[in-house]
Amino acid sequence: MKKRLVLFFALLLALVTGFTALTTTANAATDNSLTKIEKKGTLVMGTSPDYPPYEFQATVHGKTKIVGMDVAVGQKIAKDMGVKLVVKSMSFDSLLVALQTGKVDMVISGMNPTPARRKNVDFTHTYYQGGYSIVINKSDKGIYKNKDSFVGKTIGAQTGSTMYNESKKQTSGTTVKGMTSVSDLILALQSHKIQGVAMEKPSAQAYVANNKELAAIPSDFNLSASDTSASVAFAKGSTALVNKANKSVDQIKKQNLVNKTYLPAAGKYLKTNTVNTSMFHYWKAFLTGVEYTLIITVCSVFFGFILGVLLSLARMDRGGVFKTALRWLATAYVEFIRGTPMMVQVMFVYFGLGLIVNLPALTSGIIAISLNSGAYVAEYIRGGINSVDNGQTEAARSLGMSSGATLRYVVLPQALKNIWPSLGNEFITLIKDSSIVSIIGVSELIFQSNIVRSDTYRGVAPIAVIMVLYFILTFTASRILNYFERRMQHD
Amino acid sequence: MTKPIIEVKDLAKNFGKNQVLKDITEQVTPGQVIVVIGPSGSGKSTFLRCLNLLETPTSGEVDFAGENLTTLDTKRVNELREQMGMVFQSFNLFPNMTVLENIKLAPMKVKHMDDATATKRAHELLKQVNLDDHADAFPASLSGGQAQRVAIARSLAMDPKVMLFDEPTSALDPEMVGEVLSVMQQLAEQGMTMVVVTHEMGFAKSVADRVWFMADGYIQENSTPDDFFSNPQTERAQDFLSKILM
Repeated sequence: MKKRLVLFFALLLALVTGFTALTTTANAATDNSLTKIEKKGTLVMGTSPDYPPYEFQATVHGKTKIVGMDVAVGQKIAKDMGVKLVVKSMSFDSLLVALQTGKVDMVISGMNPTPARRKNVDFTHTYYQGGYSIVINKSDKGIYKNKDSFVGKTIGAQTGSTMYNESKKQTSGTTVKGMTSVSDLILALQSHKIQGVAMEKPSAQAYVANNKELAAIPSDFNLSASDTSASVAFAKGSTALVNKANKSVDQIKKQNLVNKTYLPAAGKYLKTNTVNTSMFHYWKAFLTGVEYTLIITVCSVFFGFILGVLLSLARMDRGGVFKTALRWLATAYVEFIRGTPMMVQVMFVYFGLGLIVNLPALTSGIIAISLNSGAYVAEYIRGGINSVDNGQTEAARSLGMSSGATLRYVVLPQALKNIWPSLGNEFITLIKDSSIVSIIGVSELIFQSNIVRSDTYRGVAPIAVIMVLYFILTFTASRILNYFERRMQHD
Repeated sequence: MTKPIIEVKDLAKNFGKNQVLKDITEQVTPGQVIVVIGPSGSGKSTFLRCLNLLETPTSGEVDFAGENLTTLDTKRVNELREQMGMVFQSFNLFPNMTVLENIKLAPMKVKHMDDATATKRAHELLKQVNLDDHADAFPASLSGGQAQRVAIARSLAMDPKVMLFDEPTSALDPEMVGEVLSVMQQLAEQGMTMVVVTHEMGFAKSVADRVWFMADGYIQENSTPDDFFSNPQTERAQDFLSKILM
């Protein structure tokens, strides 16, 4: 037991040191930043598209795409560099990590260049100077005047945003509640869980313009310029890239492009978005969600099963030093995976493994969930193999079958039958758990519903829709599994 | 004298500190039917399972057709096991396959026989054990006697040179013992080399060429059935026979 514990911590230590070492090396070599982008021909922009009018999704000619004033800024920068802009969406919390780990080349997401952020990334000059407003329910309009009116009440703000930190600092007697997405905050506001939502002025205006039940009040926060301005973030040390982007940003400011061109254009998209907020209108978004949820689940079940078989065999094989080492390794793996949250594993594969190989979000998600599922499936299979009578193996071996053939043709089919209900359960769980990969921006059901929610300003309907969709998926899956279970019954 | 097909030399087997087989040296020549009898716990089954290496001997050697099994690699052991069919007390049919599939599996996966040939051969064997009408049944629907006859057919499908029987009738209801013994008797008459661990004294008397009496981890007597049953030499055997024969 003690030995096993030592092994476990050794493994953990190796993992952590490896990760730290990688982070440092990734930061070191980046001064050919501009040439690298020019050579690549694309500039990948990371953004969190639930923040109109900065960035949001709109349906243009039947296709959903990310639009908004930040996207226009990104396009300008890319055009001036002579490269193509690629927009990648993810949650606001993940943006800077994605930048540091090279998942994206720059971040434009209404981000304020605060001193704390400056320690980790490089910012351009500011392209937009805004301010904060607080969005409240229109019915409360007389009650709240500014940030100081919320004593004993709750204000919401986006987690990881400047508004969240400033609301905490500059109010007293007020609870500040953080949520990942602004659409969730608005929903919380409308269901009276919170009394106000602090956000950037343009966003507040967009929400008020599109939702008759909301009103905006001035925040009266005491703010420095860096707290209210928006800048483009690049990886630390990419000076050449920042200098080049600064030229574009200076032009944007000089010609007042944001107010003259970008914001009005974003406003038009917003209007088309809210013309039809029926859920049927968004069937394509939901279909994409179902598609990705199924892709992730089916792939993960497949690879997880293979991994599970290998792991269970490694754990059951007894013999020489090599087999013992393998058994220990498999045991350590299973224990470690089962002892850490799947969400952390997904982030580790996407951001951590991403330092070595740049994997797309979908692939990372499938890898992480397969790795996770494999550990659980391994235990089911081990139980299944143990449940097959030893006489079956002896009969097969006495007929001259090798241990591999015995396992494949005699033991595994019976083990599979015994553990089928557990495996089915794992499959159903995976359909639901695949939602975790929404944090790295894979457009599965949860992610898609969040997009629809921020597009339509409707908080509950999309949740109801995906609830029904999830149920249809899991119910169909369990019917299919039952069919196969019945087919395997011979006694 | 013909060369022995199985030769056991100084065989011993321990399970932990428990010495089950102490020192066994015997031979089986082709065509012989050996019946191993003895009190429960005397190591009969362990001895039989050492012959095809289902149990690994602690020391000594087991030679099959001149090759010492204990020194061979796994691949060669697998090849030699094909030539030693084994029938178990609890049948050990594969419950997820039909009778026909049970018989065809090893010929197809080990000998790479094609499906048509394997099917044809399986039907022949089923006719031999009077069960051809059950070809498509699953084992769960068979009686114990039928299941054991299928198990015998399954072993025969690999065309073994020797058949090992580990108490083949002990798990059967009394009225089903006869049908299994008669199949075994037929096999013996066709010249199959057999090593049978059993408590069926009638079978030993009428079919065996040699009776090996086993007790306390040794083979105490090796004689013809007539000699053994009418004139047992050791006190151990006399004691055993006095308890089972009325």
